[in-house]
Parts: sequence; C-alpha cells; structure tokens
Amino acid sequence: MQQRIKENYAISGYFVFFLIAVTQAAATLFNFQSLALHAGQDAWISIILIGVSLHLIIWMIYKMLGNPAKDVIDVHQTVFGTIIGNVLSLIVVGYYFLMALFFLRSYMEVIQVWVFPSLRTWVIAGLFICIIYYVVSGGFRVVAGFSFFYLTLIPMFFWFYFPTRQGDLGLLLPIFNHSLIDVIKSSKSSCIIFFGIEPLLIYLPFLKAGQKHEKWAHFALMFSTFKYTAIMIVTLMYFSQGLLKHTFWPTMAMTQNIEFSFIARFEYVFIFMWQLTIIPTVCIPIWCCTRIMKRVCSIKPGLSLPFVLAALLIAALTLKERAQIDAFGTFINDCAIYFHFAYIPLLFIITWIVARLKGKRKITKIDET
Amino acid sequence: MLPNLLHDLKESTKSADLLQSCITINNNRIYFTYFSTLINQEKFHHDVLSFIQLSKGDWNHLHLQDLQAMIPLEGMKISEELDEVIKSLVRGSIFLQLDPHLHEGLIIDLSDQKSGLRDHNDTENEFSVIGPKVGFVESLDINLSLLRRGFGTEKLTFEELSIGKMSKTRIVIAYLDGITNPEYINTARQRLSDLDFDIVFESSLLEQLITDNSNSPFPLFLSSERLDRIMYSVLNGEVAILCDGSPFVLTRPTSLFSFFVSPEDYYLPWILGSCFRLIRYFGVAFSILASSFYVAILTFHYIVIPRELLGPIIESRSNVPFPPVLEVLFLEMTIELLREAGSRLPSKVSQTLGIVGGIILGQAAVAAGLTSNILLIIVSLSALASFTTPIFKISNTIRFLRFPLIVLASFWGGFGIMIGLMFILGHLLRLKSLGAPYIVPIFPFRNNSFSDSFIRSSFTQLNNRFFTTRPLSTKRFNVKKNKDIGDDYNNE
Repeated sequence: MQQRIKENYAISGYFVFFLIAVTQAAATLFNFQSLALHAGQDAWISIILIGVSLHLIIWMIYKMLGNPAKDVIDVHQTVFGTIIGNVLSLIVVGYYFLMALFFLRSYMEVIQVWVFPSLRTWVIAGLFICIIYYVVSGGFRVVAGFSFFYLTLIPMFFWFYFPTRQGDLGLLLPIFNHSLIDVIKSSKSSCIIFFGIEPLLIYLPFLKAGQKHEKWAHFALMFSTFKYTAIMIVTLMYFSQGLLKHTFWPTMAMTQNIEFSFIARFEYVFIFMWQLTIIPTVCIPIWCCTRIMKRVCSIKPGLSLPFVLAALLIAALTLKERAQIDAFGTFINDCAIYFHFAYIPLLFIITWIVARLKGKRKITKIDET
Repeated sequence: MLPNLLHDLKESTKSADLLQSCITINNNRIYFTYFSTLINQEKFHHDVLSFIQLSKGDWNHLHLQDLQAMIPLEGMKISEELDEVIKSLVRGSIFLQLDPHLHEGLIIDLSDQKSGLRDHNDTENEFSVIGPKVGFVESLDINLSLLRRGFGTEKLTFEELSIGKMSKTRIVIAYLDGITNPEYINTARQRLSDLDFDIVFESSLLEQLITDNSNSPFPLFLSSERLDRIMYSVLNGEVAILCDGSPFVLTRPTSLFSFFVSPEDYYLPWILGSCFRLIRYFGVAFSILASSFYVAILTFHYIVIPRELLGPIIESRSNVPFPPVLEVLFLEMTIELLREAGSRLPSKVSQTLGIVGGIILGQAAVAAGLTSNILLIIVSLSALASFTTPIFKISNTIRFLRFPLIVLASFWGGFGIMIGLMFILGHLLRLKSLGAPYIVPIFPFRNNSFSDSFIRSSFTQLNNRFFTTRPLSTKRFNVKKNKDIGDDYNNE
C-alpha cells in the first residue's frame, strides 16, 4: 500500500468537479456534432444516454478505490499480484499518453484550420510542450489549479443563445424516429466527448476526503451531459440534416455569425480562450503518466516527464493529415469505449470478488483461532 | 597583567571621530571614549557629566558601580571585553573608565535616535485623498511606536532580530499574538535568522533575500509606507517585517489581489469603494493586454475588426510605414523613457517633461507618420491604467509583463498572447508567499473571502477575518445595520 498523500499536497475534494469537467470540455467541442450523426435529429438522445451510463462508471470507480482512498495501481497489485499488476499499470500509461496526444493534436488541428494555416506544426507543438512541462513540473496542485480556471469559460456558453435565434425548433421533429440501434451506435461513436473520468483512477488519493465529494464528480458529468445536449440541440435547430453532414466544424460555423460593434468573427476569441481548457486537459493525463511511472518503476518525475513530453512531441508531429487525425480519433474512441465500459466494470467485479474471498478467508481464520 | 582598554581602543581604529577625553575631579581622572559623530552631545553633558561633577561621593574610593547608580540613564553595563565595547561604541555609546582600573569600564548608551532622520512622512508615494496621511519613517523606534499607538493592545508582539554581518541592522517581526498563524511567524523568523548578508539598506532588499521565489517578476511581499495599510494587514493575521532605516514595511503572506486594494476603499461607501476597485482591475487587464491586442489584430486577425471600425483604423494607419510591432514598441519605449526620466528628475522639472514628452512628442510622432493616432490613444491609456494600482511595485510588474506579450503577439497573434497568459497563470499558480499560495482566494478557492477581494462589501458582511491568512481567531467585529424601529413600509 502506498502511504497516504501528505496534507499539503492534497487538494479539496470538490475540485474533482473542475478536474472532470475541464477534461470533458476539450477540443472535440468544436466538431463533436458530426460524431453522433447516426441518429440524425435524435442525436441529443444518444448523448444523454451515454452521459447517464457513465454515472454508473463513476460510482464503480469510487466504490472500487474508496475506503481507504487508493489508486488503480494498488488495485492492480492486490488483485493480480505485483508483476502482472505492474504490467497492467504500465499499459494504462500508454492509454493516458494517447489521451493527451489526442487532445493536443486535435486542438492544434483547430488552430491550423481556423487561424494559422501557415503556422508550422512543430512550432505550436513546441510552445505547448513548454507550457505543459512548466505546469506539470509544478505538481498536482498546479495542474488542478489550472483546471479551476475552466470556471471563467463557462459564461462563454451563453453565446449559443445567438444561434438559437436563427434556429428552427421544427428541425428537431420528429422525435424518436430512429431505432434504438442507431441511437446506441451514435452514442458509441461520440463516447470520445466524455473522455476524462479515467484519470480519477490515479488522482483520487490526492483529493481530501475524496469519498465524501463523490457527488461533485457526478455533478461534473451532469454538467457536461447538459452542456453537450444543449449544444447538440442548438446545432440541430440551426442546421438542417443535409447541411450538417457537409459541415466539418458546426460549433464554429454557428458562432461565426455573431457580430458586435467592437468585434466580429467571434470564433477567434473562442478558439484562443479554449487554450485555458486544453492545457489542463493535456496536463492531467501527462501527470498521471509520470505518477504511474513513479509508483511502478520508481522513476523520478524529473526524469520521466521530459521523456514523456519528448515522445508526445514526436507523436504529435507524425500525425500530419486530417485523415490520419480522424483515424486516430476513431481508434481512441474505441479504446475509450473498451476502457470505460469493459475494463473498469471488469476490474470492479474482480475486485469485488477478491475482496469477498479475502473477507471470507479472514472470517474463517478468525473461526479457526 | 591586565589589558589597558583605553590604549587598545585607540589602537583599534584610525578614524578621526573616535574621541578620548579626560576630566579630573579631586585628582581622580575619568576617561571617556566615544564616536563624536554618533552620540547625543546634549544628553552627554546634561545627563552624564553634570551628575558626575555635582556628586558628593567619596572620590578616593569610587567604583564603577557607584557611578552606575549615580547616572540616571538606563541600559548601562560594566564590561571588560574589547569586542563588546567596540560593538556598543559603533552603536552610539560612550565608554567611561576610572583611572587606575583601565581594564574595565562602563558602557553608557547615548545614541542619538533622531539625528539624520526625518520625523514625518507624508505618504507621497501612496497617496490617498481621504484617510490619515501618516507614514513610516526611517527610524525603527518611531515606526514601532506608531504601530503600538495605533493598535493600543498588548497582543501586538514585536520580535527583534539583528541581521547583517557588518551593519547589524535591527529587524522587527510584528504580529498579533493569538491571531496570526504561528506557522507564518516561524517561517518568517526562520528565514530571517538564516540570512547571511553584509548590510541591509532597505526592506525591499530584505524582501528579495527571504522571498520564496527570487526569479519572479511579481512582488511576493506587500510593502507599504502607509500606517493604516500595514495595520489592516496585521489585523487580518499577516506578519509585518520592519527594518531599521527603511520607511517601507513588509507584510506577508500576501496574495496578488491585496496589491490592488487601496485603504481608501474602506473609507468610501462600499458601493463606491467596490466600483473603484473594479475599475482598478480593469485598468490592470487593459494595461497588460491593450497594446499586444493591437499588434495581434492588425498583424494577423484583421478579420475580427467589424466593418464600421475598419475605416478609421485604415485611415489612421495609412501613412505609417512600419509593421504594427515596431510601431507599438517605438511608442511603448517612448512612454517608458518618459516614465523613467520623470521618476529620476526633481518634481518641478518632471512636470515640464511630461508636457514636452507626452503631448508634443506624441503629436509630432503622429504627424510625422511614425505611429497611428489610435495606437497613441491605446498606449497612453494603458500607461495611465498602469498607474491606477495603489502599490508601486505591482505597477512595475505590469509595466514589464507588457513587453513579452507584445513580442509573442507579433509572432503568433492571439495564439501567442494566450500562450503568454498561460505561462503567467502557471507561474502565478506555482508562486507562494511565505509558504502560502499567492493567488488565494481564487486558488485554493476560499468562498468566504470574496466579500473583500474583487469588491469591498459593506462592513456588515466583513465581520470575520478571512481564511486566506488562516488566522487563529476569525471574529473581528460585529457591525449591524442601523434600523429605525418605527420605520416600516406603511410608516406606522
């Protein structure tokens, strides 16, 4: 068992709200609508569906890791033994790494498509890597503090009021005319937008009285579900189905038309401000990588962080074209689905069984003595 | 053989102001050794010499102890140690010896506390229209008495240390016993006593030596010369550090937001106070960002300018041959030069300089086609806005932060500005002041401190101290709304 995290490194339990909400708000916000198109105008239902089902996953994580608070590395070690457990933990490092890579690369894509077509990829990536290094080397407190500033971005969602004025509620009708299979298919392909619960497996012990603040994790998920559903509904009202199929960046296209006397092309502000969420979103998984490496192989973060970031830089540069990024997104989406809906429940069940067996053994031991 | 201190003292320094004089009473010689530049001559004649001459003792069997009892001064000591004697001589004592017993003598403290120091300070650097204009001065004793008189409580505790290998400057840590968190007191004491430095001139120098992060443009200590401001900080459970010879007092742990608080906020009604405070925050944001926005928008994102605004901007820039970066840097440098020159010149000359530099130079630059009118407005407004901060140190920081952002904006536009801001945010999150987070109450989030951070709420809301300084006792006062009992909606 790891020792308890010292008081001055831990953060208040309700911060889990920001940590989850910010990760779920990442770059996919700009074009997530196209992911859920199997269900046509019922796409918002599939988003609610996946949001609701993830509450169960959060409940499982808290049940599995709480009392006393531990991380998934401990669970791996107690359930599978030290060697297999550590190998599993290292596989999870790969998962977090891919997650960080996806967030970073898709935001860089947005920058290149919308603002700076001529800016070299390595420049953007290099700048980001510098900031990420600076933030992550400050420790978990700084990473969490960064995620707190997501709060300042929440008022920006009120900009979606403007497209609704031009929207047509009639486009949402008829409701429920897609089969359940279509709806589930579309939830499956949009799982990526709810990315961000799984770092909880690592940072849970860093939350003060984490168990007590489970409700904040649920609130975060609820907030994200609400946000995405609302944006989805606005999108469906704004675009017709035919037009939406040919729009690559629906969120941008909607905010593009907002104009004031002092600023036009509002999506520029949107894109730049979005850095405030991208940085914590990338930093949290990267921090998880260094944390696992420290706990499993006892590599110091001072050594593993530059290594991980160099790998991140190289990987971000190898993904060059739109098609590659799309394919990578689909791959990550599949990984996320298996991670959320297969791996975590499986681990939960195994842990539960092992705990019961151990409990029984203890009881029998007590009986014998 | 016993050492001859009189002779040793003469040997120890070549300085001309070390005087050794001798008076003779009833054939007994009494020697005095002192630095004539340090002691209070009047006190010497009035309190020492007159008592010795008037006394009717048995002069043949006189001892130092008798003299000690005779002279009505405190802080006297009999010593045989040369080092100790020298140490007290350079602090303004005299050394008195009776003739045959030259191995020992009496140290009498006659230091002149007020010589070479001004006796009042008008807080010219932190001016406020309303409120007391009493400021700290260079003398530590006067500062301490100002604080003690202001608080009027025995809870106010002074801890004295001496720092500086050469200067042995007196440093005082002041705090309210039972309110200030002992953790901060211990950290401050620890850092101060670990310090190894030669001469401490100023408390701001001390600040850099005991700061948590010396590689930061942000001031991690709040330093002020206003009595009311320091009292307010101490009252809220902060530790004040006073340094002899400096009119600035440091308080810690401080948060970034306390630099934008002016004592005047509390003297005005809360609505006005809050409003002016918000204007100050706006001024800071404007001052940091305005010119870099100009560069970013005109270089890369001209698309975000609305159609109606495009006309005036094109018109004013049509004669300017430079790219926006050069234009902005040129004008910013002009303003910085004016500011730097203005702060070094005598106040009467600097007024003229302001007119010449500000108005004539600016107009001429526009007329010559070096800069655009709009930029002139932006840059001078942002210079003006940076002066709204009540503390000079943070205004320097703001002034500095502008330049990296302009350079970033010229390379990568809005993306570059955001990268810069993210670095600043990351830096702020990492900073600590005396081990306490720097941007409290935002992170860590302290819900109860928001009544006095961005706005200054009514005193009925401010009854408690804030958790930001983790005080031991939170209750401050109990202000209730004054209600007319008979006055209700129906006037019954």
